[in-house]
Amino acid sequence: HAADHNWRFANLYSRGSAFGAVYESLAKNIETMSNGRIKVQVLYAGEGVGSTGIFGAVKTGLVTMGATFQSLNAGELPAGLVEIGLPGGTSDATELTTLFNEKGWAPILKRAYGEQGLVWLDPYIQPAVYVITKKEIKSIDDFKGLKIRAPGAYGKFLRNLGASPVSLAWGEIYTSLSTGVIDGSIGSNMIDHRDGNHVEVAKYMYKLPLAGAQVLPIIVNRNAWNKLTPDLQAIVQAATTVHAQAQLTKSKLWESEAVKEMQAKGLKWSPEPSAADKAAWTAAGSKLWDEYAAADKYSKELIDVLRKEAN
Amino acid sequence: MMSIELLTGILFVCIIVSFALGAPVGMALGGIAMGVGYITWGDALFNVIPTTLEATHFSFILLAIPLYIYMGQLLTRSGIGDAMFAASQMLIGRVRGSLAISVIVVCSMIGAMVGIIGAGIMTSGSIALRPMLERGYDKRLALGVIMAGGGLGILIPPSIPMIMFASSTQNSVGRMFIGALIPALITIVLLIAYVVISCKLNPNRAPMDKIPEVQPTVKEKFMTARDGLLSLMLIVAVLGSIIMGIATPTESGAIGVVGAIILAILFKRFKPRMVQKAGMQAALLVSVAMWIIVGASVFSNFHLLMGVQNMVAGFTQDLGLPPIMVIILFQVIMLLLGFIIDEFIIVLMCAPIFTPIAVSLGYDPIWFGILMILNIEIAVQTPPYGFALFYLKGIAPPGITMLDIYKSILPFVLLKLCVLIVVMMFPELVTWLPNYIMDS
Amino acid sequence: MTAFIFICFLPLPHRYKTMIMTAIRRYCLSVHAVVAFIGKSVSYLMPILAFVVAFEVFSRYILNKPTIWAYDTSLFMFGYIAALGGAYAQQQRAHINVDILYNKVSARTKSIFNLFSFALAMLFMVIVCKMSIGKFEEALEFNYRRQSEWGPHVHHYWLMMTIASGLLILQLSSDWIESIYHAITGKPFLPDDIRHQEENA
Ligand code: NA
Ligand code: NA
Repeated sequence: HAADHNWRFANLYSRGSAFGAVYESLAKNIETMSNGRIKVQVLYAGEGVGSTGIFGAVKTGLVTMGATFQSLNAGELPAGLVEIGLPGGTSDATELTTLFNEKGWAPILKRAYGEQGLVWLDPYIQPAVYVITKKEIKSIDDFKGLKIRAPGAYGKFLRNLGASPVSLAWGEIYTSLSTGVIDGSIGSNMIDHRDGNHVEVAKYMYKLPLAGAQVLPIIVNRNAWNKLTPDLQAIVQAATTVHAQAQLTKSKLWESEAVKEMQAKGLKWSPEPSAADKAAWTAAGSKLWDEYAAADKYSKELIDVLRKEAN
Repeated sequence: MMSIELLTGILFVCIIVSFALGAPVGMALGGIAMGVGYITWGDALFNVIPTTLEATHFSFILLAIPLYIYMGQLLTRSGIGDAMFAASQMLIGRVRGSLAISVIVVCSMIGAMVGIIGAGIMTSGSIALRPMLERGYDKRLALGVIMAGGGLGILIPPSIPMIMFASSTQNSVGRMFIGALIPALITIVLLIAYVVISCKLNPNRAPMDKIPEVQPTVKEKFMTARDGLLSLMLIVAVLGSIIMGIATPTESGAIGVVGAIILAILFKRFKPRMVQKAGMQAALLVSVAMWIIVGASVFSNFHLLMGVQNMVAGFTQDLGLPPIMVIILFQVIMLLLGFIIDEFIIVLMCAPIFTPIAVSLGYDPIWFGILMILNIEIAVQTPPYGFALFYLKGIAPPGITMLDIYKSILPFVLLKLCVLIVVMMFPELVTWLPNYIMDS
Repeated sequence: MTAFIFICFLPLPHRYKTMIMTAIRRYCLSVHAVVAFIGKSVSYLMPILAFVVAFEVFSRYILNKPTIWAYDTSLFMFGYIAALGGAYAQQQRAHINVDILYNKVSARTKSIFNLFSFALAMLFMVIVCKMSIGKFEEALEFNYRRQSEWGPHVHHYWLMMTIASGLLILQLSSDWIESIYHAITGKPFLPDDIRHQEENA
């Protein structure tokens, strides 16, 4: 029989990819747990909504639910960048969960998304962001003058270290690394580096992550959410919580697989950074706090919480 | 709710009817999506427009289109394009169809610069179509050569669809790029062979240049050679800027524009008015191309949101066919999709659905990816709906009708189909070179 | 426009009809003038676009200092050229169509076909215009920017899209009026020389 609610759920990953499969199982879970009252059609990369369009598409109700990467929507919801984790943030999943659930990030984000007609569900913790380079980085000074493809906050972070961030389309990273238009590139995680085949044209991965972990939201269009009965809302909420846990466990595994595959293709780690390098790395990150806090009221609230923690 | 099969049928009928009535292609596709979408979905569908507009206008990859169109206009209006062909004809010598051959050669070089189809067709179309028509070349030969040559943009590396295929199926881009080289070479050789043979059989298709009544002086010959070589140098420079890591394939179009302006100054043909007229014509062509892309993307996004990809995925499950039949069936599906869907979407949609099946049947994924690219090359130039057709119509002089273009493609589609079949029969044509280079 | 059809058949005194027709003709000619002006103006962005991209290459490769602004600036200019030229392309009948049947029918049948085609195009454009206005207001309300490090405002893009689609609606309305007049009377509504002035220039 026909479902009461027909949802479309857009994510950024390709059909058949590991992350894509996890979103597929979330959709299945919602269908099973709701006894078929909610039917969820999963839309993968390129299937109707562009990668930068998921936020807007959920907001307008073109799709009901979305798993977006907030760096792509920095211009629409600046707080999303703080949510994802400014460079230099923690990599500890428990610490992050506490930050959201107990230290007060969740309610702030619920308001920030709510203002734009979105319901913010569980935060998803994804693996760290690393930079891959053509030349070995022996000390942090080697970043000086390097042209590195790094958007937004990551670009600013690398600029603080003396590198020159470059803006490039994703489809041109491979060719640009290969010909030397750029000297390095960040990937949104190790899996992204592997999928982009970056190791074929750049061999060195820097040990320190630009962000220890990334936190991505699942968002739902508010009008569609309000049409659900309270029990269905609870079911969707519960399914996402289960799924967030599954993704955390699995993405750790995929990350290590991706690293292994890349190492088999010749990936090398740059040598262990010195204590001074590590300090400079952290300093480059904390410089960004003020800048982001000044840019937007929700970002300020989130960063205030971080500051209170740091002290 | 309407089934996706029925919806696809209705959309197809709407396309045929509105195309037959001569509606502007891009806006008609947009209008059909809005009309049918409103009936089946409601006004929430209208929200597909803003995300589609952003994805299209803010695509740095598509930025190659305006840059290369402008470069083409500058080359043709400054006479540099003519010099280019004069020189390459001097190199080829007095062979019937020599201009068409040099078009194929130039298209191959442009194909090595850009990673998308539109830039190649619109650049070589601006430079080469008029000279061929003026020399009395058969319309169909002239049009077909440009479309077939322009399509090489995605077969000769760099190629955006190959990068998309490699990433969505987790394969090596390098292997794809190298694996495409032999099929690309076969295509180029076949295209040239076709031109030579068909002109031999039917000399009217490509008249020989008249031997001028007054023999050119040594000085004039020297001038042709000098101008021509300088112009060919422009292509070498643009290509060099990519290989040396100075510019990305997209940006190389801007290097070409600057180079064309410098050459025009050197040749004493630079006039601000010429630059402005070239800009005027280029802007018009860009707008035409981009409104088609916007309308077509709105249409295909609507179709995808309604779940056409699930229809394709469902269709390929549990086929129970012999392996090679499955591969052939995939090719047929993609060719059919090419009637209503654009090249990038075919890759994004079919690569992840088809490739795992092909691999599980024991086939090489790189080989399958190259088959897909060869297939797309055909799909974009088969009527009624194909970007290569629309780009070429945009660049063609007013006398050329869509029927001329439709008729021009047949021999070239057959040639490309031959390449597809040969590569399907002999996978080593794809797999040998990358294995040889990358595993040694 | 429906009013226009009625006018042709209304039992009005001839001089009123003439007056109304003159007003409509004046409307069409002004639309043509505005669309042509904007279409030609936007083409001045073409060399600037190429220069901006070339400058980024120069700045990155020679000066070793990639700019933060060239990427978004070039994309904005691309969007402006792509969208704003649409109405002028419609005026010059430069948009691509499949002319197999179209070229075989009489001029009057073509006009009848146009009534359908232009209405379909207008449906699309009205929705593009409506959505662009909505996005413009939203961009102002939430201070939307590009996601890049530079982060320029995007509201002007949506305002531009509103204007671009608005111009297309105006041009299509004028073309629709032209077609229905021609379909009914068999005579041209506007002077012949308003199209293809730039041909072979
Ligand atoms: Na290419
Ligand atoms: Na086609």
